[in-house]
Amino acid sequence: MRKHALGCTVNDEPVEVLVQPYDTLLDALREELRLTGPKEGCGTGDCGACTVHLDGKPVASCLVLAMQARGRAVRTIEGLAKSGDLHPLQDAFVRHGVPQCGFCIPGVLMAAAAVLADHPRPTEAQIRYGIAGNLCRCTGYTKMITAIAEAAAAAPAARS
Amino acid sequence: MPTAMKTTREVKGVGLAIPRPDGPEKVTGGTEYVADLKPKGMLHAKLLRSPHAHARIKRIDTSKAKALPGVRAILTARDIPTLKRKAPTRAHAVLAIDRVVFVGQPVAAVAADELAIAEEALDLIEVEYEVLPAAVDPLASMQPGAPPVAEAGTEADTSEALAHSGVAAAKSEAGPPKAVNIAQQAKLQRGDVAKAFAESDVVIEKTYRVPMVHQGYLEPHAVLAQWDRNGLLTLWASTQGSFNTRSEVADILGLEENQVRVVPVECGGGFGGKIRALCEPITAALARATGRPVRYVMTRREELEAGNPAPQVIIKLKTGVKRDGTLMALEGETIVESGAFSGAVLTMGAVFLASVYKWPTFEVRGFEVLTHKPSIAAYRAPTAPHTFFAVDSQMELLARALGVDAVEFRLRHLMAEGDPMANGQKWQSNGARQVLERIAEHPLWKNRAAWSATSGQDGHGLCGTGLALGGWIPGLQPTGATVRLNPDGSLGVLTGQVDIAGTNIALAQIAASAYGIDLDKVRITTGDTDVAPMTGLSAGSKTIYTVGTAVLEAARDARRQTLEIAAGEMEAAVEDLEIEEGRVVVRGVPGKGVTLASIGKKGNLYMSKVPPVLGVSHPAFAVQAPAFAAELARIEVDPDTGETTIHDFVVVQDAGKAINPLGVEGQMQGGAVQSIGIALTEAMTFDASGRLTNPSLLDYRKLTAADLPNIETIIVEVPAPAGPFGARGVGEPPIVPAPAALANAVHDAIGVRLTELPLSPERIALALAATRA
Repeated sequence: MRKHALGCTVNDEPVEVLVQPYDTLLDALREELRLTGPKEGCGTGDCGACTVHLDGKPVASCLVLAMQARGRAVRTIEGLAKSGDLHPLQDAFVRHGVPQCGFCIPGVLMAAAAVLADHPRPTEAQIRYGIAGNLCRCTGYTKMITAIAEAAAAAPAARS
Repeated sequence: MPTAMKTTREVKGVGLAIPRPDGPEKVTGGTEYVADLKPKGMLHAKLLRSPHAHARIKRIDTSKAKALPGVRAILTARDIPTLKRKAPTRAHAVLAIDRVVFVGQPVAAVAADELAIAEEALDLIEVEYEVLPAAVDPLASMQPGAPPVAEAGTEADTSEALAHSGVAAAKSEAGPPKAVNIAQQAKLQRGDVAKAFAESDVVIEKTYRVPMVHQGYLEPHAVLAQWDRNGLLTLWASTQGSFNTRSEVADILGLEENQVRVVPVECGGGFGGKIRALCEPITAALARATGRPVRYVMTRREELEAGNPAPQVIIKLKTGVKRDGTLMALEGETIVESGAFSGAVLTMGAVFLASVYKWPTFEVRGFEVLTHKPSIAAYRAPTAPHTFFAVDSQMELLARALGVDAVEFRLRHLMAEGDPMANGQKWQSNGARQVLERIAEHPLWKNRAAWSATSGQDGHGLCGTGLALGGWIPGLQPTGATVRLNPDGSLGVLTGQVDIAGTNIALAQIAASAYGIDLDKVRITTGDTDVAPMTGLSAGSKTIYTVGTAVLEAARDARRQTLEIAAGEMEAAVEDLEIEEGRVVVRGVPGKGVTLASIGKKGNLYMSKVPPVLGVSHPAFAVQAPAFAAELARIEVDPDTGETTIHDFVVVQDAGKAINPLGVEGQMQGGAVQSIGIALTEAMTFDASGRLTNPSLLDYRKLTAADLPNIETIIVEVPAPAGPFGARGVGEPPIVPAPAALANAVHDAIGVRLTELPLSPERIALALAATRA
């Protein structure tokens, strides 16, 4: 099959890659752009390990065709922190010892960042439902919830 | 004034709740797993899997697939001459020879330039099957005349039990001649059971069932294989034990172990499911056939259909007591369904059944039964959640029947150090009593009556509280570690320990405290099988207990060498020396000392006569340290839907000594949630033909953040006499108690005892409907 040119921005950088029509956004990110932070845990949109932002909204990148991202803005875990430092969520995850095996963490963080974008001062229920599409098998979620709540509380009141 | 001096215990090491140093890599997507590796020229592998639970392979034609451009190799069993018809383990059955024995069993393997080409090639391989009757139900499979699973004469695989647990096997016997699918049997007996039941006032008999569940690690099995021109195989593997993987792969492919190097790549969860080789041998064979690096990553569907899950366990339990609460007799039968290949931890369940509470008279039988389903492996305290589900449900039922307090009844009969286990071994020191006492002090337990009284009030459903005990006897395995002093005065610790949950930071803490140096001066490395000292599995709750001991001793050895060198330099006695803030100093002589850096530098100096400091330890172990947890659930059941909501959940666990409380809490919370999953939602369901009916994470229901409350953790420390700083294993105990705790809570809420897991809304609603009928 003939490959197609996919032009979009990834982590604020314009990129152009050749993809198969059947390639998923996750395939394009991992195999073509070698951004391997997003993980494939199921390939069917059930585990959330592949979560990235598409135009600011969280999506399961294993369920999005690569060509659907044409002309749009993609953000992966590699681009969550906009400067060299850790994003406040990442920092809180490290301090609270959230990551164990770590495989789910990139997806959870992208889902958590989307929660905070929608709810700068989230309730525990908003956090729990916001990451309910992300399975974690190591942590039991408790330290995640604590870390996300703490990162939200520490952020300036007027978030953009 | 030696007591006023700073001792090694005061350095920043053991006991610190400190995050793991690789956290920043893990939260930025920088940590690489096997599927992230992509060397030049890499090929992708796919496996053609059996669509039948039991069938004879009449013909395989790969010619059309081989002709597909981009296909580099297609292998069937005849291409791997070392394959044995009587495969001693699942791992040895690399490809089916002429019979398939479960849906998903690999039949042929493809390596191709692209994944899509490999997938297309699978469709072009023609296999003609003669479908045979399948043994799907374990009870039916035990009967004479059931369709045979293993080839006649295949020996039972007991290596999992040996690798995993420190409990000596009870006598196991080969199956009776006609029941072809009984792979192992065990029997434990003490006293005259019939007589003791006859003298009992209250006899309760129940059958407990726990279905097959999957370990559920988020990263599917994955491996990358490459051969060099000297015939050396390198495997980048997602494994819980690189040395074990090396031995298994070498044995299966007919290699020497020194021809195989296993590089343990970050493991995205294992929980027992990544101990045994699974896809490593076939990937290595494809790499050999193509002369190229080959990467194989299982799909989630393949994981669920053809991984190595936890067994279905059916426990028949009969117990008799006197009216005054005296325990009289226990009779139990544990049936462990192993799927298509032997490998169950059979005796542990049988031992726990009769050993946790002091039954004077008992008879326990265990059976490992084969069926035409995916074969099983370990899952965090293998069969203990199942066994304690039966044990602590039954204790609750007895207490209710006698009208006594359920916790006091347990405490009255709980074993203690020195009491005999059912297999004759003696219980070692443990904190079972302490965790049970501690959880009974919790306000949620003390106020359980008030919670129950809210049933039906203010929109509440049926409210209940339940608790249970659970535990495990962690495994033992010889292991090794080295500790070296660097020229900058820091320490380098080397083991082969695969760090999944954050054990390396705890090992570094042990090294820091044992040597007498702050933690930030310790770096720990997990080496591959060519460079690391032989190191055991990351399994069996034994990393801190065994590898921690090796690190402790190696750090002490390095400390002794350091002090001896310093003693020579300062013309002082070793006994008078202390390590303080990066310097070796003489007690009571302020200002006199040498820096660790200067000692380290001399060990690396041209023409130096000072040997480099290298602490070494490679212990073997004999003394177990049983580890217990208790869990409490405060729940609400919706009387219309049968849905259970957990409002509060508490884990109390004996860690011996929490080397890193942050890591211990993480183990407790994660283990508890897996335990709750077994209790409430998880089950692999099969149809009558042996096909998995829920092969996706949509249909196989793992718990999400929205299903759960915060998990409260309370660490109790009953020091393990032989553990490093008193530590004992923490990984497995927290997965054990929740099934019984939740069954007890549901009973408290709805007044009905459920004995089959999961405690699904459907089961609870039907049970409630039955009480109304």
